[in-house]
Amino acid sequence: MHRQPEITRRVALGALGVAGAATVGLSWPRLTASDIPGRGEDVLTVAILGTSQDAAARQSLVDAFTEAHPDIRVRIQAIQGNDWGDFFSKILTMIAAGTPPDVVNVATEGTQLFASRMAEPLDSYVLRDAADLQEYFDDVHPTLLEAFMYEGSLFQLPTDFNAANMYLNTDALNSAGLERPPDDWTKDDFTDLLRAMRTTNADDFVPYFWTNRLFGGLVPWLYVNDTSFLTETKAPGGNWFWDRFYPGEQRSGGYRWLESNAEDPLVAESVEYLRELVAEGLGTRPEEGGGGALVGLFASGRIGTTPAGGYWAQGLHEAGMDADGFDVQFFPRWRTQRHQFGAAGYAIMATSERKDAAWEWVKFSATKPAMELAYPRPTTTPTRRSMVNEAFYADTGPRSWQVFYDTLDTFPTTGPIPAPPQQAAVETALIKNVSAAVSGSAAGVPGALAALDRDLTQALRRVS
Amino acid sequence: MTAAALPTARAAVDRGSGPRSQGPAWRRRVVVLTFLAPTIIGIGIFTLGPIVASILLAFFRWDIITDPEFVGLTNFVDVVADPTVRVSFINTLVFVVVAVTLQIAVSLALAVLISQRMPTWARTFFRSVFFFPLILSAASVSIIMRYLFNEEFGVVNWLLSLVGIGGVPWLTSPTASAVVIVLVYVWQQFGFTFLLFVGGLASIPTEVYEASSIDGATGWRQLRSITLPLLSPTMLVACVMAVISALQIFDQPYVLTRGGPGDATRTAVMVIYESAFRQLEFGRASAIGVVLMLLIMGVTALQFRLSRRFVFYQ
Amino acid sequence: MTTATVTPPAPTTRAAPPRRSSRAVPTPSTVARTAFLVVAAALTLGPVIWTVSTSLRSPAESFTLPPQLIPTDPDLTPYIQVFAQINMGLLTLNSALVTGFIAVGQMLTAALAGYAFARLEFRGRSLWFSLVLATMMVPVQVTIVPVFMIIRGMGLSDTLLALILPAIPTAFGTFLMRQYFLGLPVELGEAASIDGAGPWRTFASIYAPLALPGLAIIGILAFNFHWNEFFRPLILTISEQNFTLPLGLVSLQGNMGTGSISVVLAGVVLSMIPALVVFLFGQRPLREGLTAGVSK
Repeated sequence: MHRQPEITRRVALGALGVAGAATVGLSWPRLTASDIPGRGEDVLTVAILGTSQDAAARQSLVDAFTEAHPDIRVRIQAIQGNDWGDFFSKILTMIAAGTPPDVVNVATEGTQLFASRMAEPLDSYVLRDAADLQEYFDDVHPTLLEAFMYEGSLFQLPTDFNAANMYLNTDALNSAGLERPPDDWTKDDFTDLLRAMRTTNADDFVPYFWTNRLFGGLVPWLYVNDTSFLTETKAPGGNWFWDRFYPGEQRSGGYRWLESNAEDPLVAESVEYLRELVAEGLGTRPEEGGGGALVGLFASGRIGTTPAGGYWAQGLHEAGMDADGFDVQFFPRWRTQRHQFGAAGYAIMATSERKDAAWEWVKFSATKPAMELAYPRPTTTPTRRSMVNEAFYADTGPRSWQVFYDTLDTFPTTGPIPAPPQQAAVETALIKNVSAAVSGSAAGVPGALAALDRDLTQALRRVS
Repeated sequence: MTAAALPTARAAVDRGSGPRSQGPAWRRRVVVLTFLAPTIIGIGIFTLGPIVASILLAFFRWDIITDPEFVGLTNFVDVVADPTVRVSFINTLVFVVVAVTLQIAVSLALAVLISQRMPTWARTFFRSVFFFPLILSAASVSIIMRYLFNEEFGVVNWLLSLVGIGGVPWLTSPTASAVVIVLVYVWQQFGFTFLLFVGGLASIPTEVYEASSIDGATGWRQLRSITLPLLSPTMLVACVMAVISALQIFDQPYVLTRGGPGDATRTAVMVIYESAFRQLEFGRASAIGVVLMLLIMGVTALQFRLSRRFVFYQ
Repeated sequence: MTTATVTPPAPTTRAAPPRRSSRAVPTPSTVARTAFLVVAAALTLGPVIWTVSTSLRSPAESFTLPPQLIPTDPDLTPYIQVFAQINMGLLTLNSALVTGFIAVGQMLTAALAGYAFARLEFRGRSLWFSLVLATMMVPVQVTIVPVFMIIRGMGLSDTLLALILPAIPTAFGTFLMRQYFLGLPVELGEAASIDGAGPWRTFASIYAPLALPGLAIIGILAFNFHWNEFFRPLILTISEQNFTLPLGLVSLQGNMGTGSISVVLAGVVLSMIPALVVFLFGQRPLREGLTAGVSK
């Protein structure tokens, strides 16, 4: 270090200080976030799972809403997360931070969590505006509404859904000398198809790729085997709704998942089937929290089949797959052909001080023009039957796009993702014990399911 | 660095290092306060306060949105009885032993090797390479490794297949996924202990080696009888730091395996995170946190105790 | 990942005394050692090279095996996609502000506290010092909820200051600077005292300038750590406008696995450039700083 004259050092230090103060001053609006428009103002905050891109994509929706309701200002707040669980905990942090949103886009995974603690029932609003809404209900399958009933009250109007259908890689089918299977194909047909794909494709090809999570993991195989890992019952009530909007429908006041059903022999049977697929090299061992590479793998022809919903059409298209490169079929039949689906819609937060404005948003988002703005491309399946049409899938495929909505009509028992208010703990328990069960030998399955039963019982006992 | 500085430090303290005769006592106190205030107040508000708060929170049931409810020792009783928590602590301890041993061994070996005769550019090259993973974020590294270790499509299995080893289920079998977590963690962390050792080796006077060469000591014997003892203060710092860091492992298993399959790679901090931010049981999460804090302090104290027997100060 | 990873690297300038000056024939053991180093370097760099090359391929080709280490036909689409999908400019600005203020703040506070613990005498010095050190052992996941509540109490929820303020007091930096000041000759301060300099003058004009290399270490390590930090921003920020780079990268992965691997890796590569630059320029100060701390 050179000895410098004291005065120079003072000047340098002073200059540094001034520069520092200037930096702080200039960046102050950014440091305190006071430069974010609409922050702290009286606006209707709508939280969605997604990125700012997703928020921007809804700008036309917001504009249309503002045109219809000039007195209500809306701000879309995109919240990102790997899955719905991340999203829900973030909403909770917003409540804790004293800045809860007014409206939240909630998926089936969180419907009961929100309904039991945070959301406002829509019942009185729905009845008040019944005349406006009849057209919406006429266009939407009742199965989707039932998933958003909780203890006799309605909490959301579903705007999009996805059933776990089976995606098929056309090239892999062709090279195995096969065609798209028929609608009523069975589990054994499926196994044969995988074996044929296995023998006619390279080593780094996987006939069946699946992700270990609540949607599309073990659960579809439980549903087609006429069981579930939780005992499924229905809540009474809800007649006010069904009688008014779906006369003649025998529906309930919502699903109840109160107890573990993990020790059901049929559950063991489904798990054992998946375990054998893995052991035989037909299916992947599921990675936890995986799926990040799924679209790329499928699009590059490394995967023969995988369970997914309509949300995949656009993703595969963007990954470079053409409309004839893949197709979709119902999930194969076992004891039944009951499908699993997930849906989403806007819920009003009970803490909101703008509930009437919030309801206007919920109602608006369910109109056809709004849904056409919200879903310009098949990144998900709109709940309005009239929107799931040839034109919607023309660019992307699949050719058999009818499967997406037909699932609801053809298999009336089709049910939502089992997600009680304790969803996070339930999902953790399911995922970890399923991965343990299918990674080991057949002898390990009963032990893993006993552990699942114990974990689920503990999770469900917790006061929600 | 620190190790090398320690002996000097001792000498300085012994001689009484403070500036004397600085006016009245109150003035000296004000001076000390101004020097310390930013750090002590900051740590008080943002670390010590929260530690105390989370210890208190461990006696409550709280989901953030409703008011906390006092539940006494219930959380601790639950936590001790919970097999998942128990497994996660065992996993963490096994991880610490294996990962730290491997990290210390690899970084020490490389530091010794790099101090052998070689062109300056080569030394600079190796030194930079071994430090490089440290500049990546653990999250990015885990994303990258997730692709590399994929069972069907990953590069690692492709390389193994070249030598005839068939598809290892790296991320989906209990043993293999634990191995991956250790490898990925050590891959990213060894650069740090490596640089500590390089610094420690540099502080060993050349004359010591020259003297021993004259006595005929070479290679292994030199390493065992000179390098390691003289390096032991650095070793202590490296071990303590590495152990504290490893005990808090979270990012790698969180991104790579989410703790699975089963509970095979679930660590203590992961369980804390899951209890708090997935299951909304903040009291329970705090109770696990308190147990982990006690464990970390115990292990660190133990290391310092052991160090009295093994660490050699010049 | 944790505070403990922020630790000083060390000098190497004196690492290889020329024990024999003549150029000897490589012995088998030299060959083995060199081979070991080369293999270790390959294992260390391999994943990084794969990341860069895969980020230059189209999504459909990104899984092709054998992996191409040098992309023959580089495709910049993933990089264009990154800029299309996330607001790189704002994310980088936020990261730069957060890491910049934390680094400067840590240097200032650690210099003061480290000096006090090394050179000033006061009652309970070692007790206070142990207390500061003990805070290094607490995982951030344990304290994050109370920190969140304190931030809310200060009215700073969902701001960059919520990330900056709690990170400025640094136990590790204090420890490092204490060691550093202890390594500087005590005679300098004594001489200054005799000349009539007060503790502030002694600190500001004698010790602080000598400790600049040590401060550089703290600054570089703080930058490196907080540039890559994921957990605190994840919990403490809510609006996307307040996100830092690592959070932005996660959104490239898409929901339900609809993201593309090349785009994710392109984001990883872009985000590591600033850290790489700091590392390249910081390597020398890091080394010199440590040498100075030992030898002066």
